[in-house]
Amino acid sequence: MNTNTRKKKRVDQIVRSIFLASTLLSASFIIIIVIFIVMKGITPFITDNDGLGVVNIWTFLTGTVWLQGTAFQSNLYAVGFIIVNTLYIAFLSLLLSLPVGVLTALFIAKIAPKRLAEFLRTIVELLASIPSIVYGLFGSGIILTFVYNLAELFGVQSKGGNSVLATVLVLALMTLPTITAVSEVAIRSVRKDIEEGSLALGATRTQTNFKVVLASAKSGIFAAAILGIGRSLGEATAVSLVAGNAKSGPNLGLFDITTTLTSTMLQGLKETTGVDYDIRFSVGIVLMIVILLTNFILNAVKKRVGNVNVK
Amino acid sequence: MDKQVFNIKNLDLYYGKFQALKNINLTIEKNKVTALIGPSGCGKSTFIRVLNRMNDLIEECRIVGDVHFHQDDIYHEKFDVIDLRTRVGMVFQKPNPFPMSIYDNVAYGPRCQGIKDKAELDEIVDKALKSAALYEEVNERMKESAMDLSGGQQQRLCIARAIAMNPEVILMDEPTSALDPIATLKIEELINDLKEQYTIVIVTHSMQQAARISDTTAFFLMGELIETDNTDKIFTQPKMKETEDYITGRFG
Repeated sequence: MNTNTRKKKRVDQIVRSIFLASTLLSASFIIIIVIFIVMKGITPFITDNDGLGVVNIWTFLTGTVWLQGTAFQSNLYAVGFIIVNTLYIAFLSLLLSLPVGVLTALFIAKIAPKRLAEFLRTIVELLASIPSIVYGLFGSGIILTFVYNLAELFGVQSKGGNSVLATVLVLALMTLPTITAVSEVAIRSVRKDIEEGSLALGATRTQTNFKVVLASAKSGIFAAAILGIGRSLGEATAVSLVAGNAKSGPNLGLFDITTTLTSTMLQGLKETTGVDYDIRFSVGIVLMIVILLTNFILNAVKKRVGNVNVK
Repeated sequence: MDKQVFNIKNLDLYYGKFQALKNINLTIEKNKVTALIGPSGCGKSTFIRVLNRMNDLIEECRIVGDVHFHQDDIYHEKFDVIDLRTRVGMVFQKPNPFPMSIYDNVAYGPRCQGIKDKAELDEIVDKALKSAALYEEVNERMKESAMDLSGGQQQRLCIARAIAMNPEVILMDEPTSALDPIATLKIEELINDLKEQYTIVIVTHSMQQAARISDTTAFFLMGELIETDNTDKIFTQPKMKETEDYITGRFG
C-alpha cells in the first residue's frame, strides 16, 4: 500500500468519526430531554410532594378536575378531561381546515391560471411561516370579539369569547397553510396521464378533479392532515391566549371555556414551585404519548386508505 | 350510414411557433384499423390527439383546418367536446388505471354520464371486461385495486374502460410500447376482435405491428403525411421513396 492511499484512508476515517460524533451529540440531546422530562414527570407520583401527598396516577389520568396554583395546595391533579379536550379541539379544527385546505390546494394546483397560482402559493408559504404567537394575538384581538358577539347572538354569555370555538378557529387558521401547502404538492404530483385518462372518457374537469385527482392524491392529503393534527396537538402559545383555562371538564360546548394539555403546561409555569411545577412535566409525558399514539393510529389508517396509490 | 368516420382536410397544428403538423389530409373509415406509423417526433401522436381534442389541454396549441367527425366540425366553437370524447375513446401509451377498484375503473365513464343504477352498471362492466378479454382473469376480484394488476392486464382494463362508454372509435396511442411481447400479442388479438364493432386508430412504433393488425396505414414524417394506403400496399409497393426508406429500415 503506498502512502497516498493510506493518507486517503486516514482522511476517510476522520470524516467518518466527525459524522458519528455529531450524530451522537444530537441523539444524546433527545435522550437527555426525555430522561429529564420523565424524571421530573414521575416525581409527583412517587414522592409525598412536601406533605401534600402522592398524586394518584389513575385519578391523574382519568379525573375531571384540575386543582392548581398556590391557592389550592393539594395533590388533586387530573388530565383525563384535558386529554379529551385536546383531541376534541384538534379534531374539530381539522374538520374545518382540511376541507378548506384541500379545496384551496385543488384550486391552486389545477384551476387557477399560472400567475395567480404562483401568487397564491407564495401567500400560503408566507402564512405557513408566521409564528404561532402572531396567530394567538390575532385570535385574542379579533376572534375572541367575534366569538363573544356570536355567543351573545345565541343568548350565551361567554367568558370574553374564550372558548372551544375560539381555540378551534385559531388552530384551524394556523394549520390551514400547512395543510394547503402539503396537499397542493400532492395534487400537483398526480400523474398527468391519469387526469388525461379521465378527460378522454368524457368526464368534465370538475368530475376529473374530484373523482380522480383527489383520489390519486389522497395519501399525500392524509399526510397533510397528520401534519395539521400534529400542529394542533402541540400548539401552546396561541391556544393559551384564547382557551379560557378551564379547571374541570370535559368541555364540549362550543362556547364553553376549555383547556388543552399544552395550555395547562404553560399556565403560570413561571410562578410556581413544588408539585404544581413538577406536574407540568407529567402532563408533558402525557402529551408526548398522545401525539405518538395519534400519529401511530393515523399512519396505520393512512396505509389502509393510501395503499391504492402507493405503487 | 356513411363510411367515413373522420374526415381531415388541410390540417395544420402549431405548438407556439413550432409547426407540428403540416397540411394533413386523411379520412378514417368505419370498422377499419388505421395505423399511424413514422419515426419519433413525426407528429403521429399529436395527430391522434387531434381526433378527440386532447390537444386542448396543451396551452399554445393552435389548430387550423378542418376536422369532421361524421358531419360535425369538431373544432367549431359550439361543438360539445365532452360528447365527442364519449363517442371517441382513447387508450394511452402507458397503462393509466385510476387508483380505485377494477370495477370502479370500468364504471367510471358511465357514472360520469350519470348512470347510477347498479344492475345497469354491472351489466356494462361485465360486458366491457368480456370484450376486452379480461373478464376471466378479474371477475373474482372486481373490488380489488386496479393497481395490483399486471401491466398487460392494466392496459386491457384501460381498453375495457374505453369500451364501457360504447364509443364508435377507439384511439390507441402506442398501446403496447410499455408491455412485454406476450401482453402485446394479447392486445393485438384483442384489436383484431374489436374492429368488428369499433373503428380503431392506432399509433405504433412497430412496423410489424402495423402490418399485422391494420387495414390502412398512414406514414408520417416531420409533421407531414407522406403516404396513406392499404397496409398491404404500403408494405409491399410504397409509392414514395421516404416510405420505402422507412419500412426497409434505412432510418427511424
